Amino acid sequence: MAMNRRDTFKLAGIAAVTAAMPGVAMASEKAEAVKKTNGKSVVVIGGGFGGLTIAKALKKLDKSLEVTVIEKNNMFVACPFSNTLLGGLDNVALDNFVGDYYQPSATHGYSFVNATVTAIDKAAKTVTTTEGSMSYDILVLSPGIAYDYAGQFPKWSKEKIAEVSQACPAGLMPGNEHIALKRQLEGMDDGNIIIVPPAKGKFRCPPAPYERTSMVANYMKNEGIKGKVIVLDNKDGAFAKAAAFKESWADLFPDIIEYKGTTEVTDIDPKAKTITYIEYANIDDTKGVVKTEKYEVCNFMPNNKCSPVIEMAGIKTNDAGYAIMDGVSFRSATDKNIYVIGDAVTHGIPPSGQAAIWCAHRAARQIVDQMNGKANDPAAGLPANAANVCYSMVGGKPEEAIMVTHEFIVGPNNTMGSVASVPKPKDGNGKFRSAGTAKATREWFKGVMREMFA
Amino acid sequence: MQRRNFLRLSATSAMAVAVAPSLITQKLYAEDGSLFQTFEKVQLKDAQGNPMKAAALAQEENYIFFYPYAGTPALAVNLATPTDKEVKLKAEDGTEYIYKGGVGAKGTIVAYSAICPHQLTYPQASMSMFQYVGEKGKTLAYDKGGVFVCTSHLSAFEPKQGGKVVGGPASQGLASIVLEIDPDDTLWAVGVLGPVKFQDFFDAFKKELKEVYGRNGAKELVKTETKVQPLKNFTAEIIQS
Repeated sequence: MAMNRRDTFKLAGIAAVTAAMPGVAMASEKAEAVKKTNGKSVVVIGGGFGGLTIAKALKKLDKSLEVTVIEKNNMFVACPFSNTLLGGLDNVALDNFVGDYYQPSATHGYSFVNATVTAIDKAAKTVTTTEGSMSYDILVLSPGIAYDYAGQFPKWSKEKIAEVSQACPAGLMPGNEHIALKRQLEGMDDGNIIIVPPAKGKFRCPPAPYERTSMVANYMKNEGIKGKVIVLDNKDGAFAKAAAFKESWADLFPDIIEYKGTTEVTDIDPKAKTITYIEYANIDDTKGVVKTEKYEVCNFMPNNKCSPVIEMAGIKTNDAGYAIMDGVSFRSATDKNIYVIGDAVTHGIPPSGQAAIWCAHRAARQIVDQMNGKANDPAAGLPANAANVCYSMVGGKPEEAIMVTHEFIVGPNNTMGSVASVPKPKDGNGKFRSAGTAKATREWFKGVMREMFA
Repeated sequence: MQRRNFLRLSATSAMAVAVAPSLITQKLYAEDGSLFQTFEKVQLKDAQGNPMKAAALAQEENYIFFYPYAGTPALAVNLATPTDKEVKLKAEDGTEYIYKGGVGAKGTIVAYSAICPHQLTYPQASMSMFQYVGEKGKTLAYDKGGVFVCTSHLSAFEPKQGGKVVGGPASQGLASIVLEIDPDDTLWAVGVLGPVKFQDFFDAFKKELKEVYGRNGAKELVKTETKVQPLKNFTAEIIQS
């Protein structure tokens, strides 16, 4: 068919759109080709719960902003609720956890760049990625966590770290690790499953190792696998929602779950499928007994640290690399054009998906006010009741869950803090867990996915 | 609702009439009319098809009806206490609007769109996690009862102040359904005030709504009358924490 004048216009239109978004100068171009900003450019690093929420929120608050999300993965995978996939609950499939980045960016009018950030120049206000460089007026860092195998096991070689991380997937960063864990569970015969929560410091989703313990036990029970879920912890029973988890373990899986609260993992041998640890009699015991356990599946969660992207930005951090904040705001303490949200902040709030969403909405308002020269009170609305609500599925047949809520407050030293409460539900007959809470868990997860994708 | 969403809906459903806000009972609802929309004037009728009378609404009972579209749920409640009047509210995008107050003899009857503005949780036939909790009730979302609550994400909304957010993660309030009571005590829904979420709702639940209403049935405007019934009769389970 001959091309008519209208078709020519249509093609020109497509070309213009492609050129205008995303505003990335290709790596092959010269440095001066970095596109100048229009004074309203916000670059968001990280396309997780925080990043996707703030990109959408910024466009909703101020359509004139040019917002770009840079994400190293080419597909979104959710971490919250993913233990139910391991637990083999009904109507839970990988489909429930994934999303494509093109849809929310097209719907909400921001740009998406699939690239890895390699450098940040905060003086020049540019971000360099594997796909080129771009300028920003405001930079939002929502890069999440990294694993600290090297800090936890200084004697392990790089090869050993790679071997352990692949053979014993941590499953705190979504995608590959979860799929690997599920494959391992489905492939196992009778035998034990070892779960090792992070031993030290702040880590992503504090109830995750314990919800996983419940869900894996549920899987073993339903499949009739002969064996135990052994938790090698060092928190002596003082973990997130501990009373509620322990009650459900004792009621639902008394012969399956074995919790050891005063242990220290010293080595893992993925070839022999053994884990070696020191078991202490109590927290005052310094000697302990060295034990080696054979496992079929080992879910080893190393200590967390902050994503190295924060360090690249050259802003002030604490020892674990998390960003020091300007009071209770989500702005860096040392750079007024850099905001930080999600797990990467030092505020005393839980590193959870919902908290990341909550932070993102607040940070979006703070950014829009800053860009429009308006005053913003970063303490407005604090204390915020139920700013975080977090569910953990503890049983599969029938489905039952527990929950914790957090009130966010102005905490010590003018940083943000939080107060947790673990309620007993109305339909729980005096227990922490209930079927209604399990239904709320499913709706909670659908809701957070709608937040980012609908 | 974003102005764009409004336009999208209007394009597919020509019956949505944008009129000057001052035409409705000569009162100003929203500064520029963008957060106030009149729809079909629709009569609320009970399960037997008889006109629902305002006096018949039991105190603090949740009544569900669908308005302004066949698939968009709303909840009417006869509150225990009269609402405030002329409440100034602000949508997320800064647009201001004014909630005129409840209707009925004591100014206690209110209706709100039952789509949570936070993450769109809504009452379904299988279960409801979005409803009004009586003044003596207690929830995790707010330190007082007498509010609309989303059980799932724990946002709370004050029906006596135009659906303002009083707790939880929601960043803007509920849209209210503008009700009128005729001299014969019959109840009518005439419009919607505040930031609506209808287009987001249709987009997010395309699959679920298709199962209940067929391909585009949920988006059809309610005309002439709409059935109103206690929420507890409509849904299999009311979940409240």
